[in-house]
Amino acid sequence: MILNETPVRTSKNFNINNIELTDFNIPTNIPKFNNVTISDNISITENTTNFKLKYGLGDILENQVKSSSNKKIKINIEKNIAEPILIDFNFNKDNLSLIEDIEICASENKKANIIIKYRYKEDIEYYHNGIIRLNTKPNSNINISIINLLNEQSYNFLSIENILEENSKINYCNVDFGGKNSITNYYSNLKGNNSNNQINCIYLGKQNQFFDLNFIGELYGEKSNIDIEVQGALKDNAKKHFKGTIDFKKGSKKSKGNENEFCMLMSDTSKSIALPMLLCGEEDVEGNHSSAAGKVDNKQLFYIMSRGFNYKEAMKLIVKARFNNILENLRDEKLKNEIIYEIDKRLD
Amino acid sequence: MSKTNIEEINRNIYDIKNKDEYDYKIKKGLTKEIIEEISKQKNDPIWMKEFRLKALDVYNSLEMPTWGPDLSELNMDDIATYVRPKTGLSNSWEDVPEDIKNTFDKLGIPEAEKKSLAGVGAQYDSEVVYHSMKEELIKQGVIYTDMETAVRKYPDLVKEHFMKCVPVNDHKFVALHGAVWSGGSFVYVPKGIKVDIPLQSYFRLNSPESGQFEHTLIIVDEGASLHFIEGCSAPKYNKVNLHAGCVELYVKDNAYLRYSTIENWSKNMLNLNTKKAIVGNNAKMEWVSGSFGSKISMLYPMSILNGENAKTEFTGISFAGKGQNLDNGFKVIHNNINTSSIVNAKSISKNGGTCTYRSLVRVNETAKNSKCSVSCESLMLDDISKSDTIPTSDIRTDEVEFSHEAKIGKISDKTIFYLMSRGISEEDAKAMIVRGFAYPISKELPVEYAVEMNNLINLELEGSIG
Amino acid sequence: MSNKLLEIEDLCVNAENKEILKGINLTINKGEIHVIMGPNGSGKSTTANAIFNNPLYSKTQGTIRFCDEDITNSKTDEIARKGIFMSFQMPEEIPGVSVTNFLKYAKSKSTGKPVKIFEFKDELKKYMEELNMNSKNMERSLNVGFSGGEKKKNEILQMLVLNPKLAILDETDSGLDVDAIRTVSKGIEMFKNSENGILIITHNTKILSSLKVNYVHILIDGKIVKTGTQELAKEIEENGYSKYKNI
Repeated sequence: MILNETPVRTSKNFNINNIELTDFNIPTNIPKFNNVTISDNISITENTTNFKLKYGLGDILENQVKSSSNKKIKINIEKNIAEPILIDFNFNKDNLSLIEDIEICASENKKANIIIKYRYKEDIEYYHNGIIRLNTKPNSNINISIINLLNEQSYNFLSIENILEENSKINYCNVDFGGKNSITNYYSNLKGNNSNNQINCIYLGKQNQFFDLNFIGELYGEKSNIDIEVQGALKDNAKKHFKGTIDFKKGSKKSKGNENEFCMLMSDTSKSIALPMLLCGEEDVEGNHSSAAGKVDNKQLFYIMSRGFNYKEAMKLIVKARFNNILENLRDEKLKNEIIYEIDKRLD
Repeated sequence: MSKTNIEEINRNIYDIKNKDEYDYKIKKGLTKEIIEEISKQKNDPIWMKEFRLKALDVYNSLEMPTWGPDLSELNMDDIATYVRPKTGLSNSWEDVPEDIKNTFDKLGIPEAEKKSLAGVGAQYDSEVVYHSMKEELIKQGVIYTDMETAVRKYPDLVKEHFMKCVPVNDHKFVALHGAVWSGGSFVYVPKGIKVDIPLQSYFRLNSPESGQFEHTLIIVDEGASLHFIEGCSAPKYNKVNLHAGCVELYVKDNAYLRYSTIENWSKNMLNLNTKKAIVGNNAKMEWVSGSFGSKISMLYPMSILNGENAKTEFTGISFAGKGQNLDNGFKVIHNNINTSSIVNAKSISKNGGTCTYRSLVRVNETAKNSKCSVSCESLMLDDISKSDTIPTSDIRTDEVEFSHEAKIGKISDKTIFYLMSRGISEEDAKAMIVRGFAYPISKELPVEYAVEMNNLINLELEGSIG
Repeated sequence: MSNKLLEIEDLCVNAENKEILKGINLTINKGEIHVIMGPNGSGKSTTANAIFNNPLYSKTQGTIRFCDEDITNSKTDEIARKGIFMSFQMPEEIPGVSVTNFLKYAKSKSTGKPVKIFEFKDELKKYMEELNMNSKNMERSLNVGFSGGEKKKNEILQMLVLNPKLAILDETDSGLDVDAIRTVSKGIEMFKNSENGILIITHNTKILSSLKVNYVHILIDGKIVKTGTQELAKEIEENGYSKYKNI
């Protein structure tokens, strides 16, 4: 199964244009997924509309969501909502597979904070295939956090598509820790003038985990802005692909795009492949990207250990420090602490 | 803006068309019979003939690239892959036929040889028509000759290295090259010999609807050093011409090689060239590259750092104007400990041209304690052009310092205002900024070439900005 | 020939659709040093940029004449070639263009004649010594990696080399230490003669102490509210602008 293609291809030999999952078949006959909690500060329906994703992970997975999703959630943000809207999916032995179709629409001038969590109980293989669509009408402002805390045996597939209208803003925070394979496609269409998309992503890989992150931002509106900030750490045999595309379409005058990716390698068998693309068809724009990879600075490590921390503790401290800037964006102390607890647990 | 007072050059120099006169031109297309005929015309040894036929099979078995610029207009049935000029190889300009010599005169080649080069080779269509090198280098055992002579005179050296660095199944156009290659230069610098003054080969394609497939093989033996310059140009025709050369560079232990290119093919040329270097222990490979011509270019020189402490640097600029799609970049593979690479790539797009920087950095498990730093900067001169940056990094060890930075933008209005407040016109101010942008590359070139490069930039900018 | 260098009449200027200058009148004659002082945002730099017809500023009213010629709508480079120079508050960095080559080119443009290279280099060296500049800077890229002080000295160097009829110094003294201010003043004194004029835009008075200033103008909210002599600058130094703010 070929998944998660980049919008522009590069040499096939570079092994980054797409991924191929062998010896994996997507499950059919999906039973109900009942173990989900949704906060009561919002009313939801199951009336999601039809769609065709511009990119997404690929037809097979997209069609599965269209034809056999076992959870449909439609949210209309029609007033400002101060408390976070929480959607909490808990996988367990009776809820093994989740195929969800989430559609969120933020009305003009409205603000909300949305948290979507994926957690598990028993340490067995789960399957998740989801599509989240978000449309922000003019002047709306949405914070959305996707927290993947699945285990290292599961399959995690997620496609996200955002359409940003004039003066709207999406603050997106992605915490990607779980999955034997965790494959994410993130697409933002910044069609409105002054639209603004901040993307903060952290990932943490151990054992044989594999992450494939594909971020695509297309800027159409004038003075639109996208920032992609990705921080990750890999230990054991973990491997990640980072693919980031910022595409300045003609007409996106005075727009800005930044892409910043850093991968901390914590073992000599971890692997990091990155393809941060800047595509530019407009003169009056500013685009920057930077990417870097390497191990923890020994001087830093020595300094921390000289203060009485052992190696493992010092490493945890450094990883958390790296992630902290991004975690600040969660704007939710409880959730932040939960994630820090997970980092400590997973780095043990 | 190092050279402000250079005289305006005439674009026509590059566009001079000589009559399509030749001694022999193979019929168009690519078949077994045609390859056999080329081999016969070139008087190949048997091993080379077999090599060509094998390469043709590989060519037929490989698919076209599924990425990069659209090559659909290329039809091998329309291309003559071998055109022998109506002259043999000389070592004196006097003996080169008048019209061919005039062309090289106007390009300034014999003049440059007198002034600043240790040796010159000149290829016209498929064969080298002139080759010469300073006496003292010959005495030191340096070999600089055309590739055909090398195949005959140094069969062991050639067999050991020919298409070993760039294997024939690397990609489709390398296979094509293997089947139809002709001309090019062979250089051998013996152990410990330092060649202080550059050698230069100039490639000129005059014949329409034809291809140039020269093969350059350079061996810089242990502790030796060399600067090699490659220049290329062609007059413009309405139909497609093809260049699929191959450059193989061997930089042995403790050796140093700098390979500089000023590429100014005409704007009907498809430039699908392959260049690779294998770099040994403590050796250093430097690439300096200015890419101005061609309709489509797909060119990604590659350094393979096999030795401990091997180093490489790439400094390059692409300048794409109307109708041009220059998909250029650099590849480096770190295979050994303490290796390092530095990449400094720039591009300028204007008048609807497209520049793409496409690259690969791979640091393998075996390359502990390696360093790699990449910097890309793209300048857009108008809003009808395109500029893409597509860099891949593949890091397979933790003992590495890898960083990559890229920027895309236009010339700042504030900077233009600043220069104009000093009495400089808007057009001149922009040209000055563009030349300054290109300066890190032009300063790496010998003076004559820096001047040529600035001339090319002036030509490209003329009347296009303001 | 008249004695007038610059004549600004009833100048109104907008920046980003906001009215900044609201009717400025100013005349500078040969041999005069004028100073414009005023609090932040009063329109000091706008005045300089408007004289140079910076496209980011639009003139809605008024005229600017230089040596009896209307330059209100002339292009920036033409204005410069007529003999006006402006020292920038924040000089631009230009990679790959060396100080020497830049100045050589700008000089040949302003004089309309090719520059004699050896004479030119000698002249440059002389000025750099006077300004305590490191002669290595000659071959460095223009302003790239220069410290704040080096950039400002470089502006003064350009003024000396291009030798304009009128020099406008926009906050040339801001952010400089005492020694650097002294050097800049020295440069201004070297430049000054009876045939040229200087317009200094500043909000402190240190730079003025060693110069013989003819007129001081107080600019507040886009208007010149008071014109006086050097005494006025001293008064401002002691008492600030508050006295003039509500005129």
